[in-house]
Formats: sequence, C-alpha cells, structure tokens
Amino acid sequence: MTDANQQMVEQYRNNFLREVEDNVEEGEWVKMCMQCGVCSGSCPLGPHWDHPPQELFMMIRAGKREEVLESSSMWMCTSCYNCIVRCPRELPITHIMHGLAHYAKRLGIAPKNQQTHKFAQLFWNNLTKTGRVNELKLGLALYFMNGIGEGIKTSLKMQDVGLGMLKTKRLSPMELIGGHKCKDSKGLKDILKKAEELEAARIPVAGK
Amino acid sequence: MSDVIATNQTILVVGGGISGVTAAIEAAECGKQVILVEKNPSLGGRVSQLYKYFPKLCFPSCGMEINLRRAKANRNLNILTMTEVSAVSGESGNYSVTLKTAPRYVNENCTACGECEKAVEAEFDSEYDYGMKKRKGAYLPFNMAYPQRYVLDPGMIGTEDADKARAACKYDAIDLDMQETETTLTVGAIVWATGWQPYDADKIQPYGHDRYDNVVSSVEFERMLDPRGPTGGKIVRPSDGKEAKDVAFIQCAGSRDRNHLKHCSRICCMATLKQTTYLREKFEDDFKASVYYIDIRAIDRIDDFYQNVQNDENVTFIKSKVASITEDKETGNPILHGVDTEGYHRYSNPHDLVVLAVGMEPSVAKDAFPIDVTVNDNGFIEADEANGGIFAAGCSSDALDVNRAVQSATASALRAIQVINRVAGTEG
Amino acid sequence: MSDEIKVGAYICKGCGLGERLDCGELATIAEREGKANLVREHEFLCNAEGVAMIQNDIDNEGVNKVIIAACSRRSKNEAFNFENVAISRANLREGVIWSRPDTDEARETTQEMAADYVRMGCSEVKYMTLPPGNEEAASNNNLLVVGGGMVGMTAAIEAAAAGYPVTIVEKSGQLGGSAAFEYKRIPESMPYADPENTGVAELASQIESSDKITVHLNSTITKTSGAPGRFSADISTESGSTTTGNFGAIIMASGASNYDASQLPELGYGKTPDVVDQAGLEKLALEANGGPIKRPSDGKEVQSVVFVQCAGQRSTEEGHLPYCSGHCCLTSIKQAMYFKDQNPQIDTNVVYSDMRTPGAGGEDFYRSGQNKGVTFTKGKVSEVTVGANGPEVRFNDLILNQEVNQQADLVVLATGQVPNSGVDIDLPVAADDEDIDLDNIVPEVKVESILNLTYRQGPDLPHLKYGFNDSHFICFPYETRRTGIYSAGPVRRPMDMAQAKEDATGAALKAIQALENAKLGRAAHPRSGDLSFPLFRKEGCTQCKRCTVECPFGAIDEDEERYPQFNEARCRRCGTCMGACPVRVISFDNYSVDTVGQQLKNIDIPDEFEEKPRILVLACENDAYPALDMAAQNGNHYSPFARVIPVRCLGSVNTIWVTDALNSGYDGIVLMGCQKGDNYQCHFVKGSEIAHIRMSKIDDTLQSLSLEKERVATYEVAITDIERAPQLIDAMADVVEQVGMSPFKF
Repeated sequence: MTDANQQMVEQYRNNFLREVEDNVEEGEWVKMCMQCGVCSGSCPLGPHWDHPPQELFMMIRAGKREEVLESSSMWMCTSCYNCIVRCPRELPITHIMHGLAHYAKRLGIAPKNQQTHKFAQLFWNNLTKTGRVNELKLGLALYFMNGIGEGIKTSLKMQDVGLGMLKTKRLSPMELIGGHKCKDSKGLKDILKKAEELEAARIPVAGK
Repeated sequence: MSDVIATNQTILVVGGGISGVTAAIEAAECGKQVILVEKNPSLGGRVSQLYKYFPKLCFPSCGMEINLRRAKANRNLNILTMTEVSAVSGESGNYSVTLKTAPRYVNENCTACGECEKAVEAEFDSEYDYGMKKRKGAYLPFNMAYPQRYVLDPGMIGTEDADKARAACKYDAIDLDMQETETTLTVGAIVWATGWQPYDADKIQPYGHDRYDNVVSSVEFERMLDPRGPTGGKIVRPSDGKEAKDVAFIQCAGSRDRNHLKHCSRICCMATLKQTTYLREKFEDDFKASVYYIDIRAIDRIDDFYQNVQNDENVTFIKSKVASITEDKETGNPILHGVDTEGYHRYSNPHDLVVLAVGMEPSVAKDAFPIDVTVNDNGFIEADEANGGIFAAGCSSDALDVNRAVQSATASALRAIQVINRVAGTEG
Repeated sequence: MSDEIKVGAYICKGCGLGERLDCGELATIAEREGKANLVREHEFLCNAEGVAMIQNDIDNEGVNKVIIAACSRRSKNEAFNFENVAISRANLREGVIWSRPDTDEARETTQEMAADYVRMGCSEVKYMTLPPGNEEAASNNNLLVVGGGMVGMTAAIEAAAAGYPVTIVEKSGQLGGSAAFEYKRIPESMPYADPENTGVAELASQIESSDKITVHLNSTITKTSGAPGRFSADISTESGSTTTGNFGAIIMASGASNYDASQLPELGYGKTPDVVDQAGLEKLALEANGGPIKRPSDGKEVQSVVFVQCAGQRSTEEGHLPYCSGHCCLTSIKQAMYFKDQNPQIDTNVVYSDMRTPGAGGEDFYRSGQNKGVTFTKGKVSEVTVGANGPEVRFNDLILNQEVNQQADLVVLATGQVPNSGVDIDLPVAADDEDIDLDNIVPEVKVESILNLTYRQGPDLPHLKYGFNDSHFICFPYETRRTGIYSAGPVRRPMDMAQAKEDATGAALKAIQALENAKLGRAAHPRSGDLSFPLFRKEGCTQCKRCTVECPFGAIDEDEERYPQFNEARCRRCGTCMGACPVRVISFDNYSVDTVGQQLKNIDIPDEFEEKPRILVLACENDAYPALDMAAQNGNHYSPFARVIPVRCLGSVNTIWVTDALNSGYDGIVLMGCQKGDNYQCHFVKGSEIAHIRMSKIDDTLQSLSLEKERVATYEVAITDIERAPQLIDAMADVVEQVGMSPFKF
C-alpha cells in the first residue's frame, strides 16, 4: 500500500463516499445518482467496463474502496459525454470518471498495465518537457509502450501513414532530436511545480 | 352568452375536465352560482380519452354520466364551451374576467342527428385521438360529448363543405356566420382547473418517437383500446397493423429528468400496470409485457394492483432506464438498449411495440396565466395566500391521479365558497 | 290550483320521428289508451317554440303531468325542464327509431314499439306524483368533527372559514393527533427542500381563537343518532359526564394508528431499544430538539442510522399489512434529514424496494435528501440482529448483488398506518360456528366503536378494503355509505399529511353540502336534488326487516314496535328497500311499484300466434340505460320486441315486476345492472349485488309457473357496453325462439 493511500484510508476510515466527495473532482455529485442506469446503457464502450458508471456510484456508496479505485473501468472513458447528456439527475459523470481515475493514480493504486493510464502518463511526460506535444516521439512512445516487439510491429504497420505524413509535411523527422518548444519553458516548469505543491497539500500523492 | 349573469358572489371554474366539472358541481350543489368554462367543444377533458381507470379498471364515462346528470339538473350551474379566459384582473371577492367564446357554427337547435357529418367530405386530424386518425369537418367530439351538439372545424368555413353541412341540417342548426364573442363578467372567486398535457415525446431524442413508427406514447396507446378509436380497439403496430403482442413500457419517459420534466408525474407507473392488463384482456395468455422502470410508484392502498401484475407471469420488470432505441429496418421492431441495474445484464431487446410512459406537463404554461399566480419550478400552481381568490384544482396544482384530482377539486370548491360567503357576509 | 290531474302528451316529429313513425296513430293511442287529457304533435318539440307550447299548456291549460314522446330522457334536458310538473319521457328516438333499421320490413314492428312506449309513458306519468319534499327537513349548520388531529383541525378551520360552526371531539387531552408527536413535517410548499414546522401549534391556536369552533378534549362519542340536518351526538368524557350536541353533518377524522411493530421481531423490534419505528424516531428527535439525537440504549449520540422501508407492509405475510402506507418514503427522507441537518457527518442510509416520492414536491424532496448526503440503497432486508455495537441490518443489495450486514447505531423501521375505523360491521358476529377459528379472526383485539351509531346496521362506517372506510369510487372519493357522515384522512385511505389536509378540506365541503341539502330535503349524490323519499304503508308491513337489512346506506332503523323507521335525510333514493319488500308497502312519489309495474302491464301483448314475443328489459339508469342509448346512437340495433324500462338501481327491482311480467305474457326478461363485487361500479354500492342474489332465487317462481329458467337473465353491464348490451337483448330473443312463446298470453 502506498503511503498516500495509507494516509487516506486512515483519514476516512471506511467512509469512502466522503473520501470521494472531498478528493475526487465533482465527487459531491455521486450521492445524487438514483441508479437508473441510463449512463451505463448509453456508454459506447460500456461492455468494456468492469463496472459501468452507475454501478461505480453504488459501490462508492457501499464503501467498496479497493474495487473502485483499483478498477480499470473509469479509464475506459473516452469523454464522449453521452452519459452526461442523458443523466436525469444532471451528474457530471464524465468528469467524475476522470476524477476517480486521477485520484486512483495519485494514490498510486491505479491498475499499472491499463492502456489509457499508461498512455496518459506518456502524454504528460511528453507535454511537460517542452510545453508542446512532440508528436513523433509521442507516437513512438505509444507504439513501444508495451515492449519492443510490439513497438516494431506497430511501427511497421503504421509506416505508410508515417511516410504520408512526412510527404505532406505533417510530420518532421527533426522532432526526434529537438522539437517545438514554448517560450519560457522554465516558467512552465515552475508553474507546474507550484501547482503540484498546491494540489499535494490538498490531496496526498503516492511516492511524495 | 348574453344571458349569463355573474356577480361577485359567483364562482368561475376554468376548465371542464374531471376536476373542473367536479369543482363546479360541488359548489353549485351547495347553492352557489357557478360558471364553468371549457375551451373545447365538449366537457370531459383528458379522462374522456382514457379506456379505463386504475385500479378498478372501470370506465371514465360511468362517472362522467353521473356528473353530467348532476350538472344538467342544477340551475345554479352555467356551462360555456368553446370558451377561454383571456383576461383577469381584480382581487379576491371582486374579479373582472374576460371570456372569449370561439364560434361553434352550430346552435342549440342541433339534435345530434349526424346528417351534417354524413354530408361533409373534408377531414382533419382528430385531436381527441392525438392525431392518430381523422375526423370530418362536422363532428361530434365523442359519444358522451356534452353539450350533445356538433361542431364545425373552422378550417372548413368558407368552403363548399360548409354549405353542404348547412344544407343537410333540417333543424336550421348550422350558422356559418357565427362570430367569436367576448364578454366581461364579475366573479368572486376563480377555480383554475386547466389540467395537463402529455409531455411531447418527440423531445426525448434517444427514444425516437418522432422517427420510429412503433414507438408510441402512453396516451396514444390508450387510444388504441377504444373500439371507436384509431385502431378499432385493437392493439397493433402502427408500422404494419400487425398485432403487438410483445410490448415494452418505458417508465419515467420525460419525468424525473432535468432534461425534460423534473417532477415525477405520479400516474405513469399505475397507468402502465393498467395497460399490461389491456394486453391480457386482448390477447389472454399470448402476450409479453416488459416494464423498464426506476421505481414503481403504486402508492398506498392500490399497491395490491402492482402485486397482482407482478404475479402475472407474462409481465417482467426490469430496473433500468432505457438508454436508447434503434430500429430493425427489416421488421420495424424497435430495439431497446440499456443495462439492467440488478445484475448488470446489458441488453438489446427487440419488441413489437414500445410505449413511452410520458409525463404530465401542466397545461397552461408558466407565463401564460392571465393574472399573476404563484407557480413552482415545475409549472404547477402553488397554494399561496398571494393568489387571493384564485385556487388551483386538479392537475394544475400537481401531477395527480383521478381520485386525488377530484379530492383537490372538492377542496378548491370549498375555498372558493369561503370567498363567496365572505363577500355575502359583508354585503348582508 | 285545481287538484285535478291533467296529463299533456306531446309527440315530437323531429329527428326523423315524423318520417319513420305514424305520429298520428301515436297521438290517438296517447288519447284513447293512455287517457291523456291533452295531446299535441310538433315538428321540432325541443326548440324554443315547442317548449313554449308545452309551458303554455302548463301555465294556462292546467296541465300538471307531462309525457314527452321524443328523444331519450338523457337528452335535451335543458329544453324539457319544466318546474312543478311530473314528467315522463317516452324514448322514441334512441329507444325506437335509432335502434331499428329504416326498412319497409321493419316498419310495422317499429311502430308497435313506439306505440308501446307511448302507452308506457302515459301509465308511468299517471302514477307519478311530484314529490313535495320532506316537511320535516331539519336545518342545522353545525358540524361535528370526530378527531382533533391535522385532519380534524383542518376540516374545522376550513368549515369555519366558510361560516359554519364546528365542534371537535378529541379523545386525548390535546389537539394535534399524531402530528403533535412529530418533530417536523414533510414540506408542503416550494422549494420542497427541508422539513417544516408541523404547524400543529398554529392550527390549535387558530382554533382556540375562533368563535366558531368548540373543542371537547378527553372525550369520545358515545352515541350518534339521527340523520343529516338532525344528527344528535352524545359527547362523553372519561369521567362519564355527557353533553349532547345537535349537528347537520359529521366528519369522521379519527386518523390512523401506528402498526404494532412488535409483530416484526425478525426486524429487531423489541429485541433492542435501538430499533425504533418512525413514531419512535420522532420522539427521539423531539427530545433532541435540534441537538444530537441519542440512541435509547445507552444515550450515545447517533452517528449512523439505517432506515428499513416497507417494514411489515406491501406484504401478504400473516400479520403484515398488504398495502403501502403512502408516506413512509417521504417520512424516512425527512427523518434522515433530521440527522443530516444537525450534523452532515452522520451516516444515513435508506434501504428500499421502490422509492415512492411522487409529484412535484415529492421528487424535489428526494433530490434534496440526496443533496444533503442521504444515501439510498435498493435492497431486501432479511433481518435485523443485535450486534456488539448496536443493531445490524442484513440485506441483499439488489444493485450490487451482494449480501450486506450493515451495522448502525440506530435502525428505524418504516412501518405502516392502521386506520382507526372502529367496528367492522360486516364481520360475522355469531361465534357458535365450529368452523370459525376464533384465534385467527382479524381483529384480535376487541375494537371500540368510534361513532357508536344507533343505526341498526352497525355502529360505524362500513369498511371496504383493509379496514379503511373509503367507498372505493374513483370519481367520487368522498361518497360515503352513511349519508351525511364523511370520512377524511388516513382513516379513509393511507396518505401523507399534505394529502390529509386536502382531504379534510374536501370532506368539509361535502359535509356542508350535505347539511345544506338536508335543509331542503334534497338527496345527495348520485341522485342529487331528488326530493322523493320512501313512503311507507305501515299497515301492510310484515316486519320481515328485509328493507332494513338490505339498504346499502343503513338509512333504515327499527322503532320500538319493530317496524322499519325511515330516515329521509339518510336515504339516497336508490329504491333497494322498495325492491326488497315482499309486500310492496314502500314506494316513492315519483318512482313506485306502480310507475314501473303499470308500464309493463299496459303494453300491447300480441297473442302467441302472431310470433311477436315481448321481452322486458329492466335497465339501470346509471350504466345500462346510457349504454343502450349510445348503442342506438352508434347504429347498433336490437330486437324490436324489447321494451326497456329504466330503473334507479337494479336493487330497486321488486320481484313482483318479474312475476307480473311473466303472468302478463312476456316471453323473456333481461335485467341489466352495474358491476358488483370487489371492483364494483354500482353507484349505490350494494344494489346490483342484492339484485343478482334475489334473481338467483326466483327459479322457484319460474318453476311454479312452469316456465323455463332461461327466460329471466340478469347481467352486469358497463356504460361502454355499446356492442354487448344490444347483443344481450338479442340473445334473449334467441332464447325465446328456442323455448317458445309464453303460455300466459291471451
């Protein structure tokens, strides 16, 4: 158990709902759910979630902390907003799902091998280096995310696309070496550091 | 209309559905002078469009017959149809109301013989049947219409058909020159009984009421059961006229939903349970009904009706708000998609017919009241002293079933009488 | 004005009557056979001219009885609305020409039908007298309200606001009923978000300062007698002192008691004081008065509470209530808010099977509860046990499909309401029957009467379902089986406080209406305004008591000499007593054994060789007769040999009519009444049922006349039986064809 996780467990002592309300974005909406199931039924990736959104809300209310936070379910959310549009109680479901995912990651208990989780981290690492996404490096990182073998396979599969993009100047091989930067990337790093500090003061993060 | 006398000891009842009729009769039978106005050509309101009531599965015309008999026998009661309230001003004990009466084009000589209807060819959408069938330009609204007098559709005036109607009438009852009239009256108290309208199911985009033939609303389904209705009393699919034996009912369609109506419309659960008994009535054991619900609200003593339907093996209950409906193009079957929250069974269920249990929306829009009254967020009139001598009765006060609407109307009759008696007391 | 009877007969030729019928012949029949003094034909009787003609005859020609041979009595009432004359309507339009085809073959029998109806109309009106009204009609503006809870208080205040003096009789020492023991109530106005002040104190103070309302506390009603306009009630205190009051009408607002939760040991009640019912929670909340609520066992401040919905309700298990009490979901939300409002950290969980928060206010309140952090779990509670730290609720979470054992400091059971409806007068009284298991008769405890009516049929209002005294009409929620006594609030049917107050207001209106009409001798619903009432020829009475026992409204008592005592103001004019009387000594001015009997005797019955049978149809005027009218309106025909006579209720059908008809040579008799049974439609509650029972016993009569049983048929007919009602008549015509003509024709 990570230290952050331990801290929250102790602080909230079995009141998972309160923990979610305090720490998860839009978490105070979880109590408004009336278990109608329209969100679960509307989600286009629904069958791929272990627990669809409505069940997650019930599980939160029932105190099933580990099952919820360690679940890969909310990572499957593609932000299509179908659920938010149809929810009769006005729950901002998409945001809650992202909020749960984020919280699980902070506590260090998000499922390690979940694809969206991994990609999200790669994206973040890539972006925060320079303030701009280095698309070539990001793409390569994505392909090689699950190992060299798969990386080569995917690269080969995508090589026509890549060549096409090169020809139409949508891709620059120079990105491998440098890539775009924003002005004052040091300033950006300071902003991010400060933001992390502020957030950590509110919600602990694993490993820090 | 010129012989309507009204004073500030008169009660005006606006709306001639079951609530308005009840309020009017009850007050009149206490000896008060009452004027009842109804905008349609006949009294009866929405209950006259129902096949049966829950939980007794009895017929609305039964109670209406008694009410009409009581109304006809009461000299204190003045009934004006084709009439709406266009302006109200004043205060409790002294209101000035302007009534606008639209022309019926038929006068009191009418004997309801039906000859004009036979002579005329023009057809219009039948409002009584929610547009599911047509009616002639000269028509009697329904079997027990009161007054028992025909009406001419204004769309027919000035055409040949209008002349045909006049020629067919032996009693000089057709008056094509009738005009809209306006009167201003003084009344002491007003009972507002304007009722409800079914929520427009087209607005519930995922359910495809506007796109798929075999998705109907609960009020449209109810019309199918009338032997004089659009399907001659048969439960059939609008797309191909085949019998609909596998019917899905979607509860809370447009209710309890901040996208549509925030309130619970109370009657829809019982109405659906009642409609499953229609399936059994028509098809005996050869049917399936699936009720997709969030909570079944069969409240108080009539919970036993729910228990009986639960014991019917052909009826299944699924705790799920249906997410969306698609259509199987080949068969025309609507397919319901969603998740059963008790067990996480994800479904894509085809059915013969889907009935949306639509909610009740108050008839008169919030801003369309001719005078300021306190209206809550859901559009219903709140009991408030600031409303003075104006009292809501029936579904204009809350989503109610018939029994409670009549209870509300009876109570509002007393409130109106309190105002009248106060006026009478001060006037000696 | 001369006492001489002058009958005016008016034959209308409009609506096709002139074309389809020989009205001249009908006029002759009215004069010669019907013995009408004045006969007129008119082209269009219901128009202004025709009506004026009739009115002129009444005003200037001394006509005091009118028979109108035209359309149905349900049609054109506004036109044929003549005061101070007896009116009979011969239904020639819907009843004859609309129900027969317009062909040459049918013309003869159509004319015969019309002729018979004219004869019948003349006979009927001959025996009708205009009811003069009850000279002993009593006038009393005072209302008696039994019960001083929210319902009683509201009824009193509303009635007083309309100018009527009210007396409240309350058995406890204070006003407020169960509401007085509640901390707060469910909100009754927008935004429907928070529990409100119960309002008991305000209402009580309004009552105290009202000069129109008198209150008797610590009192019960020990005797009620009389009738609307002249009720007399003995109001007695526990110590025995009695005041007698006189009232015009009565409102029974005795409320409901809490279900005895000790019948739910599996839910922990009685096993630990920390399992309470909703009333128990209110008590704890009142004690806390805004501070932390403490649990009974050890005074610990409650940090977690579980609400168990539908406890002992909606269940067919023995000892449970089969119904839903209508308010408990809202009440649990309110009670959960007591905790949350005081301390949002307190865990409140409501375990339910269906959350019932209907209407605009209901759903708003549910959302507000959720917003305050009350959690809701759909689950099935199997038991509540006592753990080390407090009660534990074991339930099956139906959404997550898992068994849960939730421990809480306090458990609140949402139990139901049991109506205080007094004695069930329909329970079998005899305890001699060995088959009755005395231990399992419900109720087990001897029930005290609330009203102590001196009525022969029993001391309280009849119960219809589950002990509630609602009469179970949908369109007429207040219609009562004891005229002038209106039940309101949870004693009538389960309801929440807001509905109860509305119910009280409606009942107050009906009570005022009852006493106002009693002053004028006018009947109440459904025969509103009827001035006739039973006239009783005591000399012929055999004291058989059938009228007294069968009256659906208990309007008839017994006097010291054991004769029936009729109470006009309690009568609903259904005529069931008239139908019951084997010696026919009961009648009404405008409706008697003769007004119907003479009709059926004075038609033309062809001899058996003409092959024109005669079928008598006695059709209840509430459902069956309108169905036949509307059938004709829609072009549904039936046998030309039918002769339809409307009756007030099938219960008013005296078997002498059947016997007379058979003796006169009718070949078949069809009786059409309203639906009976649990979902009865009969507007007089029991009339149709009683008629069916009587008719099931006439087989003996038929046998003694050597007639086939099939010749008399009794049916339940609905007002929408537009296809079926004519078919039933035709079915009898078929039967007659099979069994042959009656041998009694001559």
